[in-house]
Amino acid sequence: MKGRYDDENLKWIPVLILAIFLFPFILKGATSSYKYYLYVLNIAGIYMILTIGLDLLSGFTGLMSLGHAAFLAIGAYSSAILVDQVGIPFELSIFISPVIAGLFGLVIGFPALRIEGMYLGLTTMGFGFIVKRLIIALREWTGGSAGMPVSKATIFGFTINNDWDNYFMIYSFVIISVIIARRIVISKLGRAFMAIRDSEQAAQASGINLAKYKMLSFFISGLFAGFAGVLFAHTSHFISTDHFDILLSIYFIVMVLIGGAGSIYGAVLGTLFIVLMENLFIPLFKDGLAKYIHLEAGDFQAFIFGFIMLLFIIFQPLGLYGMWLKIRIYWKLFPFNPRRRST
Amino acid sequence: MSNLSIQNLHIHFSGVVALDEVSFDIKEGEIFSLIGPNGSGKSTLFNCINGFCSPQRGSIKYNNVDLLARRPHEIVKHGISRTFQNLQNVPFMTLLDNILLGAHHRLTMRDTFTRWISRKERGREEALALEVMDFLGIANFEKKYLSGQPYGIQKLVEIARALICKPKLILMDEPAAGMNDQETLEIGKIISEIRDILNITVLVVEHDMNLVMNISDRICVLDSGRILAMGEPEEVKNHPKVIKVFLGDEVHA
Amino acid sequence: MKRYVSIIIMAALAWIRCENRVTSPGVTDTEILIGNIQDLSGPIKELGFLIPSGTNMYLDYINAQGGVHGRQIKMLIEDHGYNPQKAVVAAKKLIEKDQVFALYNVIGTSTTEAIRPILEESGVPLVAPATMSGTMSDLSRKAGHLIFHTDAGYDVQSNVLVDYILEQNANAKIGVVYQDDDYGANVLKGIAEAEERHGITIQREAYQRGATDFVGQTGNLMKGGITDVIIGGIVREPVTIMKTSQAMKYSPHFFGHAPTVDARVGLLAGDAGEGFTSCYFAYLPDSDKSGPALYRELCEKNNVPEKMRGIYHYYGFATAHILVEGLRRAEEYPTREGLINGLETLNNWESGTYPPITFNKNDHAGVEKIMLLQIQGGKQVAITGWLE
Repeated sequence: MKGRYDDENLKWIPVLILAIFLFPFILKGATSSYKYYLYVLNIAGIYMILTIGLDLLSGFTGLMSLGHAAFLAIGAYSSAILVDQVGIPFELSIFISPVIAGLFGLVIGFPALRIEGMYLGLTTMGFGFIVKRLIIALREWTGGSAGMPVSKATIFGFTINNDWDNYFMIYSFVIISVIIARRIVISKLGRAFMAIRDSEQAAQASGINLAKYKMLSFFISGLFAGFAGVLFAHTSHFISTDHFDILLSIYFIVMVLIGGAGSIYGAVLGTLFIVLMENLFIPLFKDGLAKYIHLEAGDFQAFIFGFIMLLFIIFQPLGLYGMWLKIRIYWKLFPFNPRRRST
Repeated sequence: MSNLSIQNLHIHFSGVVALDEVSFDIKEGEIFSLIGPNGSGKSTLFNCINGFCSPQRGSIKYNNVDLLARRPHEIVKHGISRTFQNLQNVPFMTLLDNILLGAHHRLTMRDTFTRWISRKERGREEALALEVMDFLGIANFEKKYLSGQPYGIQKLVEIARALICKPKLILMDEPAAGMNDQETLEIGKIISEIRDILNITVLVVEHDMNLVMNISDRICVLDSGRILAMGEPEEVKNHPKVIKVFLGDEVHA
Repeated sequence: MKRYVSIIIMAALAWIRCENRVTSPGVTDTEILIGNIQDLSGPIKELGFLIPSGTNMYLDYINAQGGVHGRQIKMLIEDHGYNPQKAVVAAKKLIEKDQVFALYNVIGTSTTEAIRPILEESGVPLVAPATMSGTMSDLSRKAGHLIFHTDAGYDVQSNVLVDYILEQNANAKIGVVYQDDDYGANVLKGIAEAEERHGITIQREAYQRGATDFVGQTGNLMKGGITDVIIGGIVREPVTIMKTSQAMKYSPHFFGHAPTVDARVGLLAGDAGEGFTSCYFAYLPDSDKSGPALYRELCEKNNVPEKMRGIYHYYGFATAHILVEGLRRAEEYPTREGLINGLETLNNWESGTYPPITFNKNDHAGVEKIMLLQIQGGKQVAITGWLE
């Protein structure tokens, strides 16, 4: 079938992939602190995998989740325990740990059959707190709230040593995730998700089992988040419950919304945007702006993000991806653009 | 032998009676219309057949399958599909995807991946959709997003979505609502064709009397949840109670 | 196409240029860059402001005298909000982007633990982390040889407190309220040691980090007939527990670990806090040692507001001495190994701000003595000398 993405120019995809893998070399040439930038990009990459999953759940299926940091934590801790304490090889853990997170997704999917919107948000938020408590309670395995060190990843005898190696591993997985998510979206599964989002009646009349597909959406979302968790654990080498808090879950939502909910590329763009803003751009302006806006360091970031979020909701509800589409159409039509009417 | 049999259907919502002892049969290959003023229980009847509402009493059987024991998403597997009064489409999906939504239970996940391996080769699902789109004359719109399409097209997409699952019986909830005369004529033509060419039984709820009188084999008039009259168009048209309740003003005018 | 080719050529040129650069990171002829990661936005952000300002006061003083080996010391401060993951980001930024020479005074236990792998990978030393975890100076752990720990561990503090309590009253029944995390674990480690040495049992009451309600714990202590309570908290916990006890008409002696030495405890607890005794491991800012004297002099000179002066401001000032001494003892052209070797030559070194400090190849734990301060009439007064 001709799906949502059929009119896109596919010959750019290989070029894009090549660019992703060449980028570190260019960066290395351009700046001596390339390692830090790679590290920031690595975080973005890990979060991209998660937000792709979150987008499938929230953007496509229309189910809100304020507990995605918990799925990240489950994936991270599962893999840390499986690899470092049980002794399962990393190659296996990247399959098992996401499934564990996915199964937790099924658990939280149950209430989703009955409740919606804000209430589901609250339920998933509660789920996040429970998982955090659970991790602290299982201190023999998880190290409690002190956190735990995690070993380096080893794929087929090749140890992922530093951010340089991490970059290639993470972005390979990001590309795979994008491909898989896109296939999901343009398949029967994706149509079912979107139908549930926009019209549960039409979905049911078309033979879609709401319960099954809502659960499936949570499961798949959990898989992605769990997988991101595995990468997170083995690339940051230290995990602690402090990181997986409600604020992180909200950040993920913001990433999806700014990117444009209901678009896989949007999730990727939104994540990149937020992570780069947080780590590279806001620090640049912070000192300058601090003269005019008297806020403390932590509040400052929240202020900026809130402001950006507001601008997007008012002026660009379709997010970054929607913006890109508009720009693309503009260039296609140039110079015969329709005049914007003043009405 | 395909027929829908409704017996003594009774449903009330917190004291308000929506359907009261409604019984009728629909024969195979028939175009059966339900008419009646707003709030007379037409849509509720549809929702009962479709499994969205559970009546307190009565039975709905289709080919001797008890539909009331089925969950909403299972109804379509028994060969019954429906369209909605208010558009129930997915705006940010292409026309093609919206239509394919209806083919949900006929497709397997494998269909998704066949085209992945060879993009040139049109998958089974695409062939399915094109067939229906050709039938309805909207094949040129396949790649367009539904949002922003004219209302008429969106209505046709609903019908296409109901047709693609190869039903034996199609429930149409006000297919001509909000359409101009020209479009209403076309809808009437399409409904007749659905029956004549595709051999699908049609149960239609409609307000447009001309349309109903033109296409229906039989008509059932509902008022306040009760059957007022039932029979062929001419018969119903001249039924005194119907004239009084429903067509009254028009006739005297 | 032309554009891409030119980009690639430019990148290649830039790369070649970089390869030729030879420097010791963070050190130029005029400057040494030091990285500091504090909590500027999290639960202890007041400290994140006070401690580095104390440090900067001393560094300014040293820089005004010409710096160390002719180099000015410049400190970059990053925020971690008491989140280990953000500490990792901050450490990466400081080490790889800003290319600091060494890290100094990173606050928090879990946050410091989180950056161990980075220290190990990059070989950057960490001087005087602001944490009292007893395992911080464990040389067998990852990056252990890079971390120079100054503060006395919580386990040491627990031991000293129990010893002191039993010395005052041999029949004392002791209870401990601990935070349910690594801090608490370290407190309990010392408690367990003390139990074994004295052959007593100590009642344990846990609380979750960030808890604001201590009625349950206080009630349990009261039921247990506890006469001496050790609080392994920071500021809110001792204050709330003491106020709760006062409301419940329960008045044991209260003791706290070093984080509770904060002057705000006395201020907030009011008369409930009278007699509260906490641990401290540096000279008091108002004592007559040379360090505190210099501190008071500099505070006057720089017009430091009265409300900023105090134990935490002084703490930043005090630990900076060790950093500066380490840099002095490193070679003329400092390397990171040089700094490590330099610090390891400290042998009972008297900084004037701390009790004498010893670092060597087998010992990276600096101070292992503490003194006890008691709130008397709303003021903190030293009630003991140095206890071990």
